[in-house]
Amino acid sequence: VSAAERKRWRAAFPYHWDADDLASRRELLRFAVYASGALFGSTAIIAALGMLRRPTTTAPQAIARISDVPEGTAVYFNFPEAETQAMLLHLPGGRFVAYSQRCTHLSCAVYYQADRQRLYCPCHEGVFSPETGDPVAGPPQRRLEQITLSQDGDTLYATEIHP
Amino acid sequence: VNSAVEPPGQAPIVAAGLAIGILLLAIQLWLLTVALDLFLGGHGDQVWSLALISGVIFIGGLLLLWILRRQARVARGWSAESHG
Repeated sequence: VSAAERKRWRAAFPYHWDADDLASRRELLRFAVYASGALFGSTAIIAALGMLRRPTTTAPQAIARISDVPEGTAVYFNFPEAETQAMLLHLPGGRFVAYSQRCTHLSCAVYYQADRQRLYCPCHEGVFSPETGDPVAGPPQRRLEQITLSQDGDTLYATEIHP
Repeated sequence: VNSAVEPPGQAPIVAAGLAIGILLLAIQLWLLTVALDLFLGGHGDQVWSLALISGVIFIGGLLLLWILRRQARVARGWSAESHG
């Protein structure tokens, strides 16, 4: 190896051969910091999207008259679009709640089973709480989309859907 | 030879930095999965705190890299002096 080549080699890789593992660990550390930056960037993007996301608000949509929904029954309707199914539940105790019918597992339709006091997805046996919409059994990990209700006289209206 | 010979105590410092860095990377990856889960679950407004922690870890990593580079420069100076 000529002196010129040796000089060029030392400029490109300025480490003694006993210390070359140190150099590779430094490279790995630098790569780890870059990866850390990428992970931070991804989390920051999700955070920004989370801050920007707002509930879908539409014009209030009449769902049903209170007197037409006996306690322990459900009414199925479409909200916020004509293709998206939702359900209004009259829970034992008198409270009204409404959720999207779309299962958070694989988007099958969820049904209210009043006799077992649960919301049931027949596709993969997912079960949600009728009181909160939270998953209680089966594969779903996230709660059902919640629909905000308002009342005007005897009529219930759907106003917002929260993811 | 005028290139850097590993100075005493330098290799364990880099190895320790690397070990801590990989551990923190795993924590950041976990934070990212929690953030995604919260976002998809409709609690996206709570994700900013996770992004903040992840950012602090990233800045810590940059700081560590800067410290090690500074040490390496000092070490190269030490090496040049000791080997003439």
